[in-house]
Amino acid sequence: MQFWALLVDSFRESRDRKIFWVMLILSVVGAGAMACVAFEPGKINLLFGMWEYDVARFTGPGGVLRSDLITTLVVEWLMDTLLGWIGVLLAIIATAGFIPAMMERGAIEVLVSKPIARWRLFLSKYLSAMVFILIQAAVFVLLTFLVAGLCWRTWLPAYLLAIPLVVALYSYVYCVAVLVAVFSRSTIAAVLVTLGAWVAFAGVQNLDDAFILFPDWQKQRTLYQIVHGARWVVPKTQDITYLAKKWTRAAYGTELVPTPDEEGRHLLDKAEAVEAERKAIPAYQSIGSSLLFEAALVLVAMWRFSRQDF
Amino acid sequence: MVAITEMTNWAVDLIDVHKIYGKTVHALKGVNIQVGRGDIFGLLGPNGAGKTTLVKIMMTAVRPTRALGTVLGRPLGHRGKLARVGYLPENHRFPPYLTGGQLLDYYAALAKVPRARRRANAERWLNRVGMRDWASTRIDKYSKGMMQRLGIAQALMNDPELVVLDEPTDGLDPMGRRDVRQLLLELRQEGKTVFLNSHLLSELEMVCNRVAILVDGLVARQGTLSELTERSLEYRITFHGGADAIAGKLQSLGAVVEVGGLRLAGGDLKKLNEAIDLLRTHGLLIDRVQPQRFSLEDVLVEVLGKSPPVASPITASPVMRSE
Repeated sequence: MQFWALLVDSFRESRDRKIFWVMLILSVVGAGAMACVAFEPGKINLLFGMWEYDVARFTGPGGVLRSDLITTLVVEWLMDTLLGWIGVLLAIIATAGFIPAMMERGAIEVLVSKPIARWRLFLSKYLSAMVFILIQAAVFVLLTFLVAGLCWRTWLPAYLLAIPLVVALYSYVYCVAVLVAVFSRSTIAAVLVTLGAWVAFAGVQNLDDAFILFPDWQKQRTLYQIVHGARWVVPKTQDITYLAKKWTRAAYGTELVPTPDEEGRHLLDKAEAVEAERKAIPAYQSIGSSLLFEAALVLVAMWRFSRQDF
Repeated sequence: MVAITEMTNWAVDLIDVHKIYGKTVHALKGVNIQVGRGDIFGLLGPNGAGKTTLVKIMMTAVRPTRALGTVLGRPLGHRGKLARVGYLPENHRFPPYLTGGQLLDYYAALAKVPRARRRANAERWLNRVGMRDWASTRIDKYSKGMMQRLGIAQALMNDPELVVLDEPTDGLDPMGRRDVRQLLLELRQEGKTVFLNSHLLSELEMVCNRVAILVDGLVARQGTLSELTERSLEYRITFHGGADAIAGKLQSLGAVVEVGGLRLAGGDLKKLNEAIDLLRTHGLLIDRVQPQRFSLEDVLVEVLGKSPPVASPITASPVMRSE
């Protein structure tokens, strides 16, 4: 009863915020835009002919790009850019204020005077944010899933994995917002520090990848060990989108087969080296270590909230 | 550290409550307060005395540095008892996106009130505080007074045994304040205990039967209103004529003779009647015999060591206080 009341309250709070509706509208607009894509011999037609993309180099003159290959390309863009970056960013902005609002002077005293343990109160609010992003992600993914199926005649059940993966990605980052919020009671501080942390998490991963791309850098052993060690500790935000793409491609047995020139071949070799390194790490290790980091931050925040004087 | 005490019959039994913020701010320095079941208890004191801190310790919003005591028979810090307590803090903030009805339902659900009872209680208390017609309106459209009424209703949604109200009449017009006072008396008649924190001493005098004065983290005075003001009781007799001939005898009764009148301190009715007999025997025409007592404000001023208080004529209805 108490958790349900907190959940409903969080939903009402979200609904009162404009960004909730902005995200829903964006989901509908995005799906609508997807529905405006058509595949014609040798080209992709967007917005009823307003823009065309020549795909002859992939198909040969007059050939139609395989719809599942196209769909994979678009889906990956949806998962990586729209959901993985824009969606999570909007979700952080939308939910970073949940904890500070709960802890506002005059509001928190009423809440903690109820017969609910503080850790339950805190955890309920935390999980409410997860439900918020779950709803937003589910709406977007389901709409685009239906467009791919109905308009492109390509059903992508594996794409639905994007829902839990986006929630996981969001949770990796949101835990920072929660920790900052408990200590500062400030939404702005929570958003800014979280965005900074997100950049830092990605930066650590990219730096670690750079050591693979440029093996000479590994001669700086101390730096390499620090970065490589840090990669294990911080949430693997980029691994999430990588996993999403990997599982989607695996579901269709498709791989992109570009025909690069010499320089392109060289770059592709390096990218494949990075990918091989990532493939060597099982998904459960990547996700598990990230969730451990998240759990640690949430536990610290919960401890602080439970012991704080209001 | 909070230790468990034996079960008591007090609704609130606070013993040696200390609170230190940081390492330097000693907000409460060993507070002892007892509130009987069915009392309307008033806590008063100057700003910074520690009143709100004490209330928050009772409501588990603040952890005491050291304390013994119980609230409704349960140790301080026990969360389960909060299901039987209603609380409205000062300067409360409610979620602006909720309607009045939604807000009552939300907080009652957190207080573990079953759904069916929540509906019935919401209707009852919205009616009682005069907010029934506003139940479907978002509270960001409410005035301060309406918010206060809703807050009081929120504190009563779980049919509490103990109601803790911090400045309950804040923002209310005179009729609203009267209504709240009446509500508090009704709650008392229902057997509930009310713990009030208020700066409006005149209002505390009208409803409370016991009060405590908190000064600088310690209880300076505690007791019934009569106990606190009894020693200030004096009788003022005004009469026509001169009393020089009997001044000595009047003074032997403890009276202070003035022109056209006298003051007799204490509540000794025997001496009062002897003084009246003396005046009448000597042909002095008595105009008025008026009891006078310190008000709560006078007691507070005296406790704070400010200018000497002056007794005021008794005006409050004795029916509203019982000791």
